[in-house]
Amino acid sequence: MSYIFVSCTADNVAAMASTGYEAARRLEAGNPKGGGGSRTAHGHGHGRTAHNMSSSSLRKKSDLSLLSKVRCGLLRTILTNLQEIFLGTKLFILFPAVPLAIAANYLHFGRAWLFALSLLGLTPLAERVSFLTEQIAYYTGPTVGGLLNATCGNATELIIALFALHRGKIEVVKCSLVGSILSNLLLVLGSSLFLGGIANLHKEQSFDRKQADVNTGLLLLGALCHILLLAFDHAVSSGEQAADVAPRLWLSRACSIVMLLAYVAYLFFQLKTHRQLYESEEEEDDDNDDAVAQDEAVIGFPSALAWLLGMTAVIAILSEYVVATIEAASDSWGISVSFISIILLPIVGNAAEHAGAIIFAFKNKLDITLGVSLGSATQISMFVVPLSVIVAWIMGIKMDLDLELLETGSLIMAILITAFTLQDGTSHYLKGLVPLLCYLAIGACFFVSKSPANQINDVNAGVLTT
Amino acid sequence: MAGARSMSPWPSRKRSDLEMLVNARSDTLRNFLANLHEVLLGTKLFPLFPVVPLAIAARCFRFGQAWVFSLSLIGLIPLAERMSFLSEQIASYAGPTVGGLLNATCGNAPELIIALLALHKDKIGVLKWSLLGSTISNLLLVLGSSLFCGGLANLNKERQFDRKQADANLMLLLLASLCHILVLTYCYVVKNDIYMVDAISTLELSRTCSIAMLVAYIGCMFFQLMTHRQHFESQEEDDDIVSDTPVIGFASSFAWLVGMTMFVTILSNYVISTIEAASESWGMPISFISVILLPIVGNATEHAGAVIFAFKNKIDITLGISLGSSAQISLFLVPLTTVVAWIKDIHMDLNFKLLETGTLVLAILITTFTLQDGSWHYLKGLVLLLCYVVIAAVFFFYQTPLDHVYVAPVEVNGYR
Repeated sequence: MSYIFVSCTADNVAAMASTGYEAARRLEAGNPKGGGGSRTAHGHGHGRTAHNMSSSSLRKKSDLSLLSKVRCGLLRTILTNLQEIFLGTKLFILFPAVPLAIAANYLHFGRAWLFALSLLGLTPLAERVSFLTEQIAYYTGPTVGGLLNATCGNATELIIALFALHRGKIEVVKCSLVGSILSNLLLVLGSSLFLGGIANLHKEQSFDRKQADVNTGLLLLGALCHILLLAFDHAVSSGEQAADVAPRLWLSRACSIVMLLAYVAYLFFQLKTHRQLYESEEEEDDDNDDAVAQDEAVIGFPSALAWLLGMTAVIAILSEYVVATIEAASDSWGISVSFISIILLPIVGNAAEHAGAIIFAFKNKLDITLGVSLGSATQISMFVVPLSVIVAWIMGIKMDLDLELLETGSLIMAILITAFTLQDGTSHYLKGLVPLLCYLAIGACFFVSKSPANQINDVNAGVLTT
Repeated sequence: MAGARSMSPWPSRKRSDLEMLVNARSDTLRNFLANLHEVLLGTKLFPLFPVVPLAIAARCFRFGQAWVFSLSLIGLIPLAERMSFLSEQIASYAGPTVGGLLNATCGNAPELIIALLALHKDKIGVLKWSLLGSTISNLLLVLGSSLFCGGLANLNKERQFDRKQADANLMLLLLASLCHILVLTYCYVVKNDIYMVDAISTLELSRTCSIAMLVAYIGCMFFQLMTHRQHFESQEEDDDIVSDTPVIGFASSFAWLVGMTMFVTILSNYVISTIEAASESWGMPISFISVILLPIVGNATEHAGAVIFAFKNKIDITLGISLGSSAQISLFLVPLTTVVAWIKDIHMDLNFKLLETGTLVLAILITTFTLQDGSWHYLKGLVLLLCYVVIAAVFFFYQTPLDHVYVAPVEVNGYR
């Protein structure tokens, strides 16, 4: 991880030549909190979780030499911001999809086009949101930064879930959340371990298994709640228990509260008491690579906040389009809505993290890869899912934790296979190939199943007739 | 050079005493007699050899069908052992990688032949049961009895094993259990009209999963034979090992192998044809015969080999034999039969029904958790053995109507 930091204002053209932390001090936005001086002074102080570091691998160094010629200070600041935000990522070529998607909505292009463009547009926006969250984290200190990451790390999935909830598409919510968990556990982890194993064929590949253990335990707790709901359902329908919908909803809500408590405890564990388990290996690798890891913020706190709000608004718009046009896309492409929700949506939403995880696996930094994939899966399972249930409770929508038999079975097997894969602390490419093939099998299963369209819009509940 | 599995049958071999043949004058006659001696008498199982012609005679002279069944079963035991001996001989000519590949594909040749014959005669139930039974018997019976006997014999010795090999095989088995669970759940969902699909999509799902399993198996072969070979070398430096040089020529071993395969095919044909009659006359369900009896017989020599290696505290070889066999059957034979059925347009899928899938998945999970800490003792073996006894009891009492053995014609929303 290189600490080459090249960004400065035109006032310090001379300072550009010195690559070091002194240049960082003269940022226009004032001094960041927490003392951003030498590496040894702050150590790991800026909450650089694995999540942040993975997406930073997609960033590139901004070259601000062009802007040094612009005379007006304000214009220069705005242009610097713009350059940093829009061009500071390798994904910037996808940015035009965003206005295209908005145009497609107003010019009434085909609905399937709107769906595809919105999906494409979500990818760079998700990456920029995590970048901006990281920038804000520099100003607020490590703990708040970690908390921010823990809540907004999967902002895209959260926003899609809330919109789908708002439109009463309960099945899309459940399927997309299950799909995110499955994609993080099997696809991201599998492809990273596979490619990393092939790239490091003759090296020792090990990782710290404590982190994996903690995450697996939480995931199993989530799976238990889903199984309980399913078994309760079965007991009701086979007549062992006489009940109607209400107890099942209350059971779901109680389980959601339990899951949120577990997540809060996990955050406490991660950020306070056992922080040392989660420190990323920042001092070990001193050689330069093209990943730009900046210990200092590149844009000011107010602008970061403003941009974050703006990006979130645009994400909300695009997610709205996605949720609205999902059936039309399913019809015109001939694949089921469950396949789109479980497989396509999470792949797109996760693309930036996925790429980052693979890049770190190539560099044999498996702890970061695991932090990204397992951490995301845990966050969705223990935070986004129960949060959706609680929000639905508040909105008066009857959403419960009842996933269908197929989804629950896939989820449990995925967790078990991941737990087994990671349990001895070493890795090789076969350990990546098997989860990848599991994901392929699960994808095939959902590909061949076609659910009737009218079940998606069932406003009353996620209750399917069984 | 030899992998763990190809070392299995040698404990039941004995050195042939060739002094008597020295006196035969003609060279070719002497060679031929030496071959015969080596092949037919080079095993402790040779008393069972006369059963082979007896079985063929029983079929031709129309003895009771139950007799034909039992004689064919017993005759399969020495033939299976000799087949693996002959493939080992060929492997020593062909080099380690090809030898490993040969072992990986033909190591369970009798099970493969039985499976393909059952497929050909459209007895899909027997096919699925026999493959299931082979997997479970390797995982629970062979491994359990080896760990139990070996644990008792080595009570005070070092008892660790190398996890990497076991892990690779167990991961493959977990993939297989995922595929079976997916197909089973999917069929259940189809049956209950939750999703509106037709039975063809179950077949498509099974075929996709079969291809995934075959890719995983090929990946594991690559892993074992090319990139991570060092984990799988068996401990060859020890004392009483049989010679690495082959005892019969390449041409003759090939010829003998072809001959033995023919006999195995003939006897397996008798077994498959007479299984219902045997089940009726013995009063046991077909499921019990297919799941328990057939694999015990077919696996007898590997079983004996695994137990003997466990006695000698060479548990890595035992694990290689039992887990490797299970992985081969579950991830190579099962998808292979699905693909062959696809080519022949027979309706075979991965749906092993609830009881069978449940026992398979639980057996894999129990073995996984038993082996996960890298040590072993006799109690682990005892638990696995008792699991096998319980499963055998379930299938003993699992009476199914006779026509359950055959597959029903494809129905819309069909599920049997």
